[in-house]
Amino acid sequence: MKTTGIGTQETMADTKSHAQADAQVVTQIAPAKMTIAEVREKLDGKTGRRFWKNLDEMAETPAFQELMQNEFPRQAGAGEWVDPVSRRGFLKVMGASFALAGLAGCTKQPDEPIYPYVKQPEDLVLGKPMFFASAYPFPTGAIPILVKSDAFRPIKVNGNPEHPVSKGSSDVFTQSTLLELYDPDRSQRVRYRGQDSSFGEFQKALQDAAAKSSGGQGLYFLSETITSPTLASQWKALQAKYPQAKLVQWDPVNQDSSRAASKAAFGSYADAQYRLDDADIILTLDADFLSGIAHPGSLSLADGYAKRHTYEEGKKMNRLYAVESMPTVTGLRAEHRLGLKPSQIEAFADALVTGTAPSFLNAEQQKFFTVLLDDLKKNSGRAVVIPGEQAAPVVHAAAYALNTLLGAVGKTVVYTETVNPLPTEQNAEFKALVADMNSGKVKWLVILGGNPVYTAPADLNFADALAKVPVTAHLGLHVDETGSATTWSLNRAHYLEAWSDARAYDGTLSIIQPMIDPMYGGKSSHDVFQTLLDNPQASAYDVVVANAKNYIKGDFATGWRKALHDGWVEGTTFTPKAGVPARVASFTPSKPSTSGYEIAFLSDTSLYDGRFANVGWLQELPKQVTNLSWDNAALVSLNTMAELKAEETNLIEIELNGRKITAPILVAPGHPDGVITLHLGFGRGVEAGRVGAGVGVNAYKIRTSDAPYLASGATAKVVAGSFYDICVTKVHSNEHRGKFAQHDLEHPEYDNEGTYSLEGHEAMERSIIRYATVEEAEKNPDFAHTGASGTVVNKVGYGPQGEAPKKDESFFPDAWNYEKTDPSSLKIQNAWGMSIDMNTCFGCNACVVSCYAENNIPVVGREQVKVGRNMQWLRIDTYFEGDLHAPKAHFQPMACQHCENAGCEQVCPVGATVHSPEGLNLMVYNRCVGTRYCSNNCPYKVRRFNFLLYSDYETESLKFSRNPDVSVRSRGVMEKCTYCVQRIMSAKIQADKENREIRDGDIVTACQEACPTGSITFGNINDKTSKVAKRKATEREYSVLGDLNYRPRTTYTAGVINPNPELA
Amino acid sequence: MAQVFDRSSNALARMSLVLTGLIVIALGVALNQLQRSPWVTKQGQRPDQPIPFSHKHHVEGVGIQCQYCHVQVEKAAYAGIPPTKTCINCHAQIWTNADYLEPVRQSWATGASIQWIRVHDLPDFVYFNHDIHVNKGIGCASCHGRVDEMPLMYQENTLQMEWCLNCHRNPAANLRPTSEIYNMAWTGPSSDKPVWCGSTGKGGATANAVNCTEVDPNKAEVKPASFETGASSPASYQKFTSQIELGKYLTAQYHIRTPNELSSCETCHR
Repeated sequence: MKTTGIGTQETMADTKSHAQADAQVVTQIAPAKMTIAEVREKLDGKTGRRFWKNLDEMAETPAFQELMQNEFPRQAGAGEWVDPVSRRGFLKVMGASFALAGLAGCTKQPDEPIYPYVKQPEDLVLGKPMFFASAYPFPTGAIPILVKSDAFRPIKVNGNPEHPVSKGSSDVFTQSTLLELYDPDRSQRVRYRGQDSSFGEFQKALQDAAAKSSGGQGLYFLSETITSPTLASQWKALQAKYPQAKLVQWDPVNQDSSRAASKAAFGSYADAQYRLDDADIILTLDADFLSGIAHPGSLSLADGYAKRHTYEEGKKMNRLYAVESMPTVTGLRAEHRLGLKPSQIEAFADALVTGTAPSFLNAEQQKFFTVLLDDLKKNSGRAVVIPGEQAAPVVHAAAYALNTLLGAVGKTVVYTETVNPLPTEQNAEFKALVADMNSGKVKWLVILGGNPVYTAPADLNFADALAKVPVTAHLGLHVDETGSATTWSLNRAHYLEAWSDARAYDGTLSIIQPMIDPMYGGKSSHDVFQTLLDNPQASAYDVVVANAKNYIKGDFATGWRKALHDGWVEGTTFTPKAGVPARVASFTPSKPSTSGYEIAFLSDTSLYDGRFANVGWLQELPKQVTNLSWDNAALVSLNTMAELKAEETNLIEIELNGRKITAPILVAPGHPDGVITLHLGFGRGVEAGRVGAGVGVNAYKIRTSDAPYLASGATAKVVAGSFYDICVTKVHSNEHRGKFAQHDLEHPEYDNEGTYSLEGHEAMERSIIRYATVEEAEKNPDFAHTGASGTVVNKVGYGPQGEAPKKDESFFPDAWNYEKTDPSSLKIQNAWGMSIDMNTCFGCNACVVSCYAENNIPVVGREQVKVGRNMQWLRIDTYFEGDLHAPKAHFQPMACQHCENAGCEQVCPVGATVHSPEGLNLMVYNRCVGTRYCSNNCPYKVRRFNFLLYSDYETESLKFSRNPDVSVRSRGVMEKCTYCVQRIMSAKIQADKENREIRDGDIVTACQEACPTGSITFGNINDKTSKVAKRKATEREYSVLGDLNYRPRTTYTAGVINPNPELA
Repeated sequence: MAQVFDRSSNALARMSLVLTGLIVIALGVALNQLQRSPWVTKQGQRPDQPIPFSHKHHVEGVGIQCQYCHVQVEKAAYAGIPPTKTCINCHAQIWTNADYLEPVRQSWATGASIQWIRVHDLPDFVYFNHDIHVNKGIGCASCHGRVDEMPLMYQENTLQMEWCLNCHRNPAANLRPTSEIYNMAWTGPSSDKPVWCGSTGKGGATANAVNCTEVDPNKAEVKPASFETGASSPASYQKFTSQIELGKYLTAQYHIRTPNELSSCETCHR
């Protein structure tokens, strides 16, 4: 809101002074109330099991108490406006808008035009979505997808449920590519030296250059990892025609370690396929295989892991050991986690092969080593070792050796040819390319995707080398750092706009088909390669079809249609390589310099290598484990933080080989000492676009080509007098830099020692999190209600009734009756409910992004997130447990619980939130006047309020992305999870038309659809044969805060873990 | 000090009090009336369309069935506005030179849509679904009026929430056999013109469940086809002489949800 144009100069000045005087600056958080030293002192000597939610719960302050009582901190007062507007100015402006609002209420709707088709496509039924199978080509392997399309406009990207690998699940990146497609900042035209040009002109220039060169001498292509077999065959054809032309593939985050190790072990590049369905013991060596598709085959691995991590009678549960540096969801979910420096992990992995524990381990870690090795050996043939892609080649080599040693090869792991058709060791090739560029050998450089000017190792000075090349071209989705530095900037077609193909984790080939005409006439790499081939006008479709003839068996027309329909080509799965990998001794653990810190560079769980920087959903998504949003930070352990004498509001300066960056610092629970983890993909300039510009710190600036993932000998120091306002979301309100979860059960509810955490207290005493070990669960299957080591019961409610108040003890007993017979069908009515399995949920965030897309949830921006106004209907609550240095974590998806006896409904003065006869807690936007009473009365804090006009009604391209079945909410309206009521209604209408009951499985909520492990079940709880009813009938089911008698419809299945008794 | 106000001003004061009250009431009534008036609801208004398309001519005169143009009314939320192609199907042969049809020819030649003005325009937060209404026995005319008698299209009803709820709270008042959905002139049964309905015993879609006829099945010379299947006999047919009786019967047969469910908010608002 701007004050410009209101009042005279004088009042403007008045406005300003007021803004300074009484408008609170809301985008900053108070510095931590306790220093790290004080916290450590308090923690000293404290033991016992405890839950806690945030490392920042460190000081007992009145401010924190206030925050805890306000769902939306500091929401009162005019000072909350983001733009500095004084109260007086605010009232003036509001007065004007009230007057306008009054008038607007009386005006009638404007006339709305209808634009019918001239010729309507034959199969189109407007208002009924269509689904098309395709695939998302990601460097680690394609993700098979099923795209929901409304009038040929893709509106949701889901996993392909019929695909043998993804089985319908997807992850945050795949889901977010939808917003990437509709990104308003995409490159929209071809430019030559800043002037508008055309792709035809470019083709001509490229053809001329190629013709003049001798056999393509000086013609270089720098591509991101090639995933398409068709593109590979095009390249082979091109190379046959121009033998001197060169192709370099390079991605800043690549699989070089695995490539190097597999080449040494097999003699040729190989990919590993793990079969976790068959694995009893899993060891990950810095492999975050659950968090998302950055790890190859993540969806398939998560599915396999979850299947075996389910507690069922007579089924053996798997056990996960994690040895890792940066705490990840995989490690925190593991039964046993050992946090080591990346360099130590190399030595640890190597030592596992030789069998002698490395000397740097302390007694406790030694024990971990021996017990782990013992457990692996005991379970030979049923154990598997997974190395992380960013881990050094020695770790991969050790994993090969261990898997051979454990008899895993052929059982729990198979090795196949690589998913990508032209595997290379990218870093070496890239280095050679830059050398060629500098020496003037490169006359023409065509960059196909990627953004090397931003991502290239700092020591290579890629931008300078690029300037030495006479003609450069960049094919990209954005005119990014690279696109603005090249002579030609070509607008690239998004993968949802173009034909291509790619292989999934198991080798299955998928055809990528366009879902929409290229919005800006973009072109793909296929078009660029084809330019130099014999038939330059052949389209991407032509070349994909031509290549498909090589692997589609039988009648091609039928096979092609089937491949497009199903989303994959039958019989293209890889066959495992014969033999076992050779033991390779040529790799040795790196010897880090003994002084200084190690720096670990990781791809970000939200932005990957920076390619998603302009995707608002991902920027705003609270990151796994750290819950950072719109920020990255130097992640360290508490000890390192103390060593640096830093607070979490400080900036630190990291110096590595003479290169410096300044980054905010944050403690990651469980992070090893002496290591600083930096996530890549942040700190982009204006070229990133309106969302990504200026977010976070660019870690590429200190990343060098010889140490792409792990560098040692860095120094770090606090920037004196620095203050950085880091953006962390926790329990919805961000600033609970409060208290620390150190208390025993007899601790008073409030204390002044600062060693008490409300969240920890609630999580434990009120049993928000419940779990037990396998032994306990076997002894006492009803542990979720009677207690176990991870479950405290009978403390709940602080009342005699405990967590199960009697149903009829209500003022409105009949209002709770959801077992009425429906007179229309003479059957028991529907009652919708959800069950979430805490055993298999590991907080990957896929559900949250799926919810974004399905429900038109707006992105609010950093400033608003900081004041607790993020709009995600679904959040993942992370509860850490135990020792600060080696915590466990529990991930709990939390959305509207659809309470039968909902508190929100009783306080709404206008009846905007009411109950449906089927038990849904409804939110009627057009009735809501924005009192926010409902939110105050919600114990789960799952309601979201549109404080400002968050929905973008202006940007044309974003309008395409909206789900037409869900209202776009305006300012002043409360909203929350609806159980995807639009999907319920459409299933209901379909069933009613066919005069039948809604079948179990007809309704799949968006979160359920995305979940890679099937943790979420939804359905009719009155139908006793439904999946959800069966799950709810199990003994482990519990409701969160059940003692409040709100009767939530969402319940959780208590987790069972399978720790090794020897390490207990 | 002398009295400022004369005695007579008492009456004036009283009157102004009463008047103020009356004005407030009048204002309330006026606003209430205003927001229900055709000025706001656009009821009965005929916007300027690019082509003065006459439903009366096409439906009553030519006898084209609704679904010839509104093809997806049984399949989707939108009934569908016909593409130019549908017009051209006939108007490539007849009235090929009519001035009125210039926009149609233009559209066909240029590929640009004919830009109609929406007559039945619900607010964007309302999710109306044609599909379920048509499949459950609500005829076109129930909401759109006698379209076959409208030379220019207009909105027959207010389309306000209270109007919707009138029916959602008592659907029986408007239900008709699915065979009569597109019958513009259907008036419901009366003692002069009774309707006989019987269950066909078939499962599946609503239209298969019930068979209705305006000819007494016990006397009819040509029996309705469903008798042949043996699933029902003329004797099993019930006679209805009033809409409400028939409505109640169809409510049960068509499994119409209860008023409680039909008037729940999520039915129309999401």
